[in-house]
Amino acid sequence: MLEVSAPEQLPVAEARAGEPAAWDALFRRYQLPLYVFVFELVRDEQASLDLVQDTFVAALRHIGTLREDGKFGSWLFGIAHQKCCQRWRKRTEVLCEEIPEIPGELDASPDDLLIRREQEAAFMRLVEQLPLPQRTVLLLYFVEEFSIEEIARITEAQPGTVKSRLHYAKRALRKLFLENETQ
Amino acid sequence: MKHNDAEGREPRRDCRSSGSALKANYMKTPREILLDRQRSVEGRLDAIRREVVRNLAQPAGAAHRRTDDEGPLWWRGLSTLWRELIQPSRRVWSGLAAVWLLLLVINLSGRDNVSSVTGLPVQAPAVALNWQAQQRWVNELLADRAVSMEADGPRQAQPRPHSEYSGAAAV
Repeated sequence: MLEVSAPEQLPVAEARAGEPAAWDALFRRYQLPLYVFVFELVRDEQASLDLVQDTFVAALRHIGTLREDGKFGSWLFGIAHQKCCQRWRKRTEVLCEEIPEIPGELDASPDDLLIRREQEAAFMRLVEQLPLPQRTVLLLYFVEEFSIEEIARITEAQPGTVKSRLHYAKRALRKLFLENETQ
Repeated sequence: MKHNDAEGREPRRDCRSSGSALKANYMKTPREILLDRQRSVEGRLDAIRREVVRNLAQPAGAAHRRTDDEGPLWWRGLSTLWRELIQPSRRVWSGLAAVWLLLLVINLSGRDNVSSVTGLPVQAPAVALNWQAQQRWVNELLADRAVSMEADGPRQAQPRPHSEYSGAAAV
């Protein structure tokens, strides 16, 4: 069985050739992050599992549309995001709210942010409370550490928009931690 | 995805190892929190993954295709024709068949109407007998007329000599 430990070792070329073992390795690598991303957007366990399955099936069918093997992860998350959007459209939920763009640099890596165990519940509550566009961007940033350009491609938004959404989300997060600190 | 950059920022794996060291102090990265909360669903994700990959290994149409490839040449030709020509546009073919049937019905009903107007095909035996009797009666009348005409003598105009035609033409 193929093992995947780093992005550059992803057996995308073998998957293109239709090798089941390669697909198994790729899906095993992404199944949990993908599920987390979808679940935090749709908030329904069964629907999230169905969406992950749909994403896998669509990936198998449309692997020919993947231009660069190194972008497999963001391509797969892009499919999942499209599936979520289709679900929202069916349910006529509000998909996006426009946020003004904010110039400025992003902070350090998401792994630089460390959360104490007693703050975990508050962190999750905050993620749930965030508006959908901000939550989407923040999840992609936290779960797979995608770059701004990759998140823009996944969400089909402008990089500037992604940057501002991430800025707002992180500002809200910082506010929460400050409040917790003072309490 | 981000990796070690020029500023000497720690790569992700090192961050994780430092994160795991900090776990002793009950610290977690957002990624760890998000993934750990959903670990319980991994079994179901494994099942989904296996099913999708199994379907890739055994495509649904494989068995069907195999039976199509077997058999005599004419059967393979027919099945190929069916698969390539008919099946992809079933609705079009069904519509055409319906139109053909409609035309056939209209044509047949039109033919019935024509026959009733002309009365050529006679079905009832009584009508046939009547028709035969009338035919006989007409024949008898014609025969009587021919006999009386022979008794009167031939009254047919004799054709004029050819010279008369040419003379008249000259005048």
